[in-house]
Order: sequence, then structure tokens, then C-alpha cells
Amino acid sequence: MFRTSDIVLIAVMVSAAAMTYAIKRDAEEERAAVRRLQAQIHTEEDTINLLKADWSLLTQPARLQALVGRYQAQLGLEPVDPHQIVQIQDLPMKTLTIEDLTGGQMVENDKHDRDQVVTGAVR
Amino acid sequence: MIGAFLKRRRNEAGDDRSIIVDSARKATGGRARTRVLMTMAVFFGIYATIAGRLVYFGFQDPDQSGPPASRVTAARPDIVDRNGEVLATDIKTSSLYAEPRHIVDADEAIEKLATVLPEIDYEQTYRKLKSGAGFVWLQRQLTPKQQAEILQLGIPGIGFRTEKRRFYPAGSTAAYIVGLTNIDNQGISGMEKYIDSQGLSDLQMSGLADPKDLKPVKLSIDLRVQHVVHDEITTGMQRFHAIAAGAVVLSIKTGEVLAMASVPDFDPNNPYNAQDKDRLNRMSAGLYEMGSTFKSFTTAMALDSGKVSLESRFDATRPLQIGRQTIRDFHGKGRVLSVPEVFIFSSNIGSAREALAVGIDGHREFLHRMGLLDRMETELPEVARPTEPKVWKQVHSITVAFGHGVSTTPLQTAVGCAALMNGFLMEPTFLMRSAQEAMETAKRVVSDKTVQSMRYLYALNAEKGSGRNARVPGYRVGGKTGTAEKVVNGRYSKGKNFNAYVAAFPMDDPQYIVLTIADEPQPEKPGMGATAASNAGIMAGNIIRRSAAMLGVEPDFSHENAATLVSY
Repeated sequence: MFRTSDIVLIAVMVSAAAMTYAIKRDAEEERAAVRRLQAQIHTEEDTINLLKADWSLLTQPARLQALVGRYQAQLGLEPVDPHQIVQIQDLPMKTLTIEDLTGGQMVENDKHDRDQVVTGAVR
Repeated sequence: MIGAFLKRRRNEAGDDRSIIVDSARKATGGRARTRVLMTMAVFFGIYATIAGRLVYFGFQDPDQSGPPASRVTAARPDIVDRNGEVLATDIKTSSLYAEPRHIVDADEAIEKLATVLPEIDYEQTYRKLKSGAGFVWLQRQLTPKQQAEILQLGIPGIGFRTEKRRFYPAGSTAAYIVGLTNIDNQGISGMEKYIDSQGLSDLQMSGLADPKDLKPVKLSIDLRVQHVVHDEITTGMQRFHAIAAGAVVLSIKTGEVLAMASVPDFDPNNPYNAQDKDRLNRMSAGLYEMGSTFKSFTTAMALDSGKVSLESRFDATRPLQIGRQTIRDFHGKGRVLSVPEVFIFSSNIGSAREALAVGIDGHREFLHRMGLLDRMETELPEVARPTEPKVWKQVHSITVAFGHGVSTTPLQTAVGCAALMNGFLMEPTFLMRSAQEAMETAKRVVSDKTVQSMRYLYALNAEKGSGRNARVPGYRVGGKTGTAEKVVNGRYSKGKNFNAYVAAFPMDDPQYIVLTIADEPQPEKPGMGATAASNAGIMAGNIIRRSAAMLGVEPDFSHENAATLVSY
């Protein structure tokens, strides 16, 4: 009763229907995921905004001054004196001293362990 | 309808009877007709019930529960200071509401809520939840963390509504500059209003104000310096028992306002008192007779006219008689004074004679040239229009010479002094501006020679004259005090003063102007002075000491005694 071509067509039809269904379902799932992510991004953005506001609230000079006042004795905090502010070039150069790290050993060793390679300048 | 239908059928049947007796009934089977009628009746009944129910629901009032319709608040850009510190921002807050009709167990709901909101009022909340109302607010402005925790509790009948709110982290520190928004998030004062006038309101109207596209507005304010200024004038107002105080820090090279504050002020996050009578931005919207600080302009004018030089001498031996008025000196020396002496002893007589040397028209023209008598052009909407006599007579010129008879705003005075230190008049701005941009619109007002002389006089006054209280070691401060008697009931009052101090630093190349004011200050302690040097001068000195390093002025001690070495 069924011819081969009928069977083939039915199979094609069934698989096409199955595929359409699968794609549609996948798309819906993806769409839901996108919505979820968008909601998440939105929340994160709001949180970032809030945290920024929080940060500026916590770093307010008025608040810091109050904190400095409270812990002044404990931490030994002092206002900066104008005398303490200088440019780097105003600082005196640190005197250069070359310390003798070998403790005099080098001179003795020098005779025995002299480098065998003779270069043009040293003879 | 059914009756009519049946009658019709019966009639048809009656008509039929005469022709085909019985056969029609037999053909349809007789009983079938009853069945059809029954079926029809049943279906009609069903549809009639549905229709009736629909009509019933249509007339029924809908359930009044649920939160009120949400208000769409327009997005606004953030306002940040010159270093990017936030001064104003939009934050989303969620508010907790309940629908008491849907609450199953009020006691349980409150107990659960109390685990997240410990400060909740049991009795009041219980009454709210039992009220049977459709909707009640429980707690406004929750943090996202609290919101998440309440959602976790899973209480039926409660929900959240998010609201956008303008938040000012700096609080009252920059209240007058940043300004306020109304409940619809529209700017109503300060820079908030300015931003709206720059096209933001149009953008919001057309619905294009997407919060992501709005770039933060960068002000010229430095929050750190602003705090120093605000802190100093707040303590200064209490210390000197003044009714008001204010200060401005202005960049001489760019005309930017780096800090400006006036107390008493308000908290923009809770501006319940922002409309009070004494809440006024005195620096730009307050008109005052500036007093002796105006002698800076008189002296500069005399020097710039070429008719007077630093070596000129003015007779201040006896009071000056003009009509019915007598001009006396506060710190009278009773001798002939040179121009620098007139300045540092703040001689009224000497200043009056300087003004007379220039003439009335020249005097008036000079003050207009310095922008002191015209309405200032700047971004801030709260700017007062200075007042001057309609017709200038000699007596006006004389009183104006020492700062009485014309009223102007302290900010304008600071701008004018900046012009004396620089030679160019620049409109003050609250937005970022570079020195080049400032020079494009700057107006040359006094010659370089006058600028050099004025710098010298300012430094000298802080060294030897009335401005000593504002000296800060290392920062080469120069300045001029001004103690003006306030007009009370049409007379100059002896007890009520308006004090100002204008300082410039560092004097070898002035970068910043600091102008402080104190309205009706009293002696700090009985027996101490109440002149400008002992209140406004001290505030200016403190502001410079604390902020100079932040303003990038390098301390230099090599110049410390230079001013005294220059002989005049």
C-alpha cells in the first residue's frame, strides 16, 4: 500500500517537524537566558552605581577629617607643615659609599683565581 | 423569544396540517423536536449565565490593591568635581509595600520582617497590616541587600517599588553650587538648574535622556578644597558669633571657581530648610557694601589712570568735609600719607583723595570696567544684580572709594581682585576651563605696571598692614581687609559690621584669590577685636594653610622676607 517514496516523504516530514520543534525550543531557551542575563546586568549596573555613591560617601573629606580627629592620638597624625613639602631635586644627593663586601679576601684570591682569558685591553 | 419561536413552529405545523397530515411529524420522528428544543434551552442557559456574569463583572469595581502607578523620573547626568569625585548622582532605591488584604498572618509577617529590618516598629506595622487597606508603605529606601533578604523570606502580600532618587554624597559641603532638583528630577537651583537649561530638559521631554548616554558634568570645584572652605567658614561662623559667613577660592589664571561656600546652608539630601530666609548663597546672590576691600580698586584705578604713582602723597591730616558728611579714618595717622601707606593703613581720607584725583566719570567707568557694577555672567543661576547710585555726585565717588554706597556680590569682588593680580578680567566659571580658553574671552582691564604695583601693595599689606592675620609661612600671602558698617534702618550701624578679607597667593606669581566674608561678627571673646583682620582674615589664613598644598602651590621660604627689603 505504501510506496517507498511515501515512506521517505513521511520520514522527511516527521524529521522536519521534529527539527522545527527543537529549534523553536532552543530559541526560547536562549531568549530566556538572554532575559536572565539582561536582568542580571541591570542589577549589577544598579549595584555599581550604588557602590560608587557609597564609595564617595565613605571617602568624603568631612568624614575623613572626623576619623582623623578620632584617631589622631592613636596613630600620631599631624597636619603637614609647609616645610615638609619639597621637590625631588631639592633633596641632597645621598653620599655614595662602596662597602667592601669581601672583607679583604678578594686581594688574596686575585692571584690564584685570575681569569685565564686574556682580552685585548688587559695584559 | 423561545415562546415566540415555539408559537411560530406550532403555526407552521398548523399550516402544514391542512396539506400533509401527520407525515411531517412522522418524517422527523416526533421526539426529535423535543430533543432539539431541550438542547437549545440548555445551550441558551449556559450562554445566558456567561453573559450575565460578564455584565455583573463589568459593573463590579476592580480590586483597589497594588501600589500606586509608578512615577517615571527622568534620568540626570552625574555631577562630578574636577578630580572626578561624585557630587550628585542618581541612585535606585526600593521601597517596601504591603497589601494587607493579601497578608495571611500579620504576626508572622512582622516577625519575619524584623529579622531583616530590626528597627521596624511592631505595633505600628501590626496596625498597618490589620487595617484592611489595599496598600500601605512599610519602609522607604531599602538597600539592595535588604531587598534580597526580604525576598528570601517569601512573605505573601508584600512587594517592592523601585524609585530613582538624586543623591548628594557631599551633603551640605557643596550645597549651593550643586543645587537641588524637585520631585520630578528637574533642576531647580544651582548647577542642576544650569544643566537643565543647557538642553537636558528638552532631551528628557523627547524621551531621549538615556542614563547611559548622559556624560557626567565636570565642575571646576575641587571637593577637597571645597570641604576645607566649608569647614573653615562653619567653625568661623560659630567662633566669631556671626550670622553668616562665606568664602570663595578663585583661580586667577583661569577664572575657575575652585571652591565656594556660604553658611548657613542646607543638606540637599533632606532640604527641608532650603527655602528659609537666611539660606542664601551669599557669595553670588548676596549684595553687600564691600568696605575697605574696595580700596584695592580705588588704588588700582588711581595708579592705572597715570595721575597717581606709588610715590604720590595725600594729605590725611584732618577729616575730609564733603557737604554735610565728614570722612574720618579708622586708624587715623594724622599726617601726609604715601599711596602704599594709604593702602596699608586703610585710610578713608587718602582713598577719597585718590578717587578725587581720577574724577567721578573715570571712577564709575573703572568700576564698570572691572565688572563690579554689572550683573555677573556665570553658570550659576543665583546671581544678584549690583546696585549703584543713579546719578554719581562727588560724595558718591568719595564713599565708593572706600566701599560704601554701592553694593556688589562677594564673588564679583573676588573676580575683580583677580583681574588686579593678572591684568585681565575673566568671567568666573563653575566648569572646567584651561588658561588658554580663559584668555580667549579675557578682557584687558589694567596695565602690567598697575598689576605689579597692586601685587606689591597686597604683599606689603600682609607683611606690615592690616592683613597680617592671613599670613601663612611659605605661601607668600598678600591681602586686604575690609570692615564695612552695615546699614540698619537707613543709618550706618556702629555695632553691626560686614567683614571681608581678600587674599592672593603666592605673591611672586599670584595663582589664587581667596575671599572670605563674615556677616555681623562679634568679638571672639570679650575684649578682642571684631574687625575684618580678626575674623575674616583668620578664616582666609586657615583656608590657605590647609588647601595650598592641594592647589599645587609649592611652599617657598626664600621669599619670606623679600617684601620688607623692597623700599618704597
